[in-house]
Amino acid sequence: MRTPTVVSFVLAGLAGAFALSACGGERIPPRALVDARNEYARAKTGVTIQLDPTDVHEADLALQKAESAWNDEPDAPDTIDLAVIAQRKAQIAEAEAAAMQAQKDTEAAKAAQAQAMQAQLLAARGQLDAAHQMLNQTQSALDQTKTQLQMTAQQAEEQKKQLADLEAKLKDARDTIAKIAAVKDDSRGMVITLQGEVLFETGKWDLKPAAMAKLDIIAQTLMGKEQSMVVYGYTDNVGTRDRNMELSQKRAQAVRDYLVSKGIPADLITAQGKGPDDPVAENTSVEGRAQNRRVEIVVQPKKS
Amino acid sequence: MRIAWIACLAGFALACGSSFPPPNDEWSAAQADVGRAEAGGAPGVPDAKLHLQLAQEDLAKSKQLIDQDNKRAASLIAVARAEAQLALSLAKEQIAQDAAHTAQAAAQKAQADAQKAANGGK
Repeated sequence: MRTPTVVSFVLAGLAGAFALSACGGERIPPRALVDARNEYARAKTGVTIQLDPTDVHEADLALQKAESAWNDEPDAPDTIDLAVIAQRKAQIAEAEAAAMQAQKDTEAAKAAQAQAMQAQLLAARGQLDAAHQMLNQTQSALDQTKTQLQMTAQQAEEQKKQLADLEAKLKDARDTIAKIAAVKDDSRGMVITLQGEVLFETGKWDLKPAAMAKLDIIAQTLMGKEQSMVVYGYTDNVGTRDRNMELSQKRAQAVRDYLVSKGIPADLITAQGKGPDDPVAENTSVEGRAQNRRVEIVVQPKKS
Repeated sequence: MRIAWIACLAGFALACGSSFPPPNDEWSAAQADVGRAEAGGAPGVPDAKLHLQLAQEDLAKSKQLIDQDNKRAASLIAVARAEAQLALSLAKEQIAQDAAHTAQAAAQKAQADAQKAANGGK
């Protein structure tokens, strides 16, 4: 009795297995396995396979394992687990590939940034060079101005020194002349006054020997001063005006010519007869008329 | 008859998986994977955080199954490892994406600045 029962159980089991096998082609795979297949298909055809073939291969192996389990033990809980693992492996491959792509993007962006910064640096360097050039030009102009300023200051100093020398010489000259003639300063310059009696005989314009001696000293003293001079001749009011004008002109000219003959440059000295004009004293007395008869040598101030 | 009983008992034992060794090493490895995912930033990335939680849940379940159903425990541990590894990969992806966006923004700014500099700062 027991043996037929066992045999019948075995037969029933085989029949059940056959029936199950016959229905296997129509079995609906678990959702996890379908998702794993789709996920793997996406990973295999996209950029994932190019960037991360290792993880895609692992996903492939996991899927094969899951498919095998599904074929062998479709109802086992481990079969679902294997399908989930296969799906996760495919997702890992995609995530890793996406991370790699992002890293590549980062590197490309950093390279672009470096390039842009290099361009920025070049532009800044160009601006700096231009600024340097401008600075150099300004510095050069400043140096030139400084040099000119120094030269001007030097020239001014030299002129000042020359002026001081001239003034000193003029003072010496004035002191020397003051021993032989009256010397004073007015708006016209330094005025050397020589009395007519000392220079000329009455009514004449030839220089007396004593006059020549005085004029020698004056010529020697004024020589080299390079200052313009005017010799003015004056008379008293005795006689006609025309006669006095002529006489004063001739006397002034005589003094002028003598000074020229002693070395005063002719172009620096002129003569002018003023006759009885500009008297320095009253013509009513002998002393006054004597004072009015005179020759003035006006040394004009040198123009700086 | 005795031989048949012994065979039946052996088959039953095999079916129950009691011969399957306890997956302690695998559990430790899965725990390490979870730790790596946490350290890799998974808790800060929503998708990664979800898979990290799944990994932790599977790991907890598997812990209870060890020595009772080692085969099932091992299977759950394998799922937990896959979840944890995916969590880490998703976190890495997000971090890399963020870095790429930052670098691209910096590059665009540098390019704009360079253009401005080339135009003499105008």
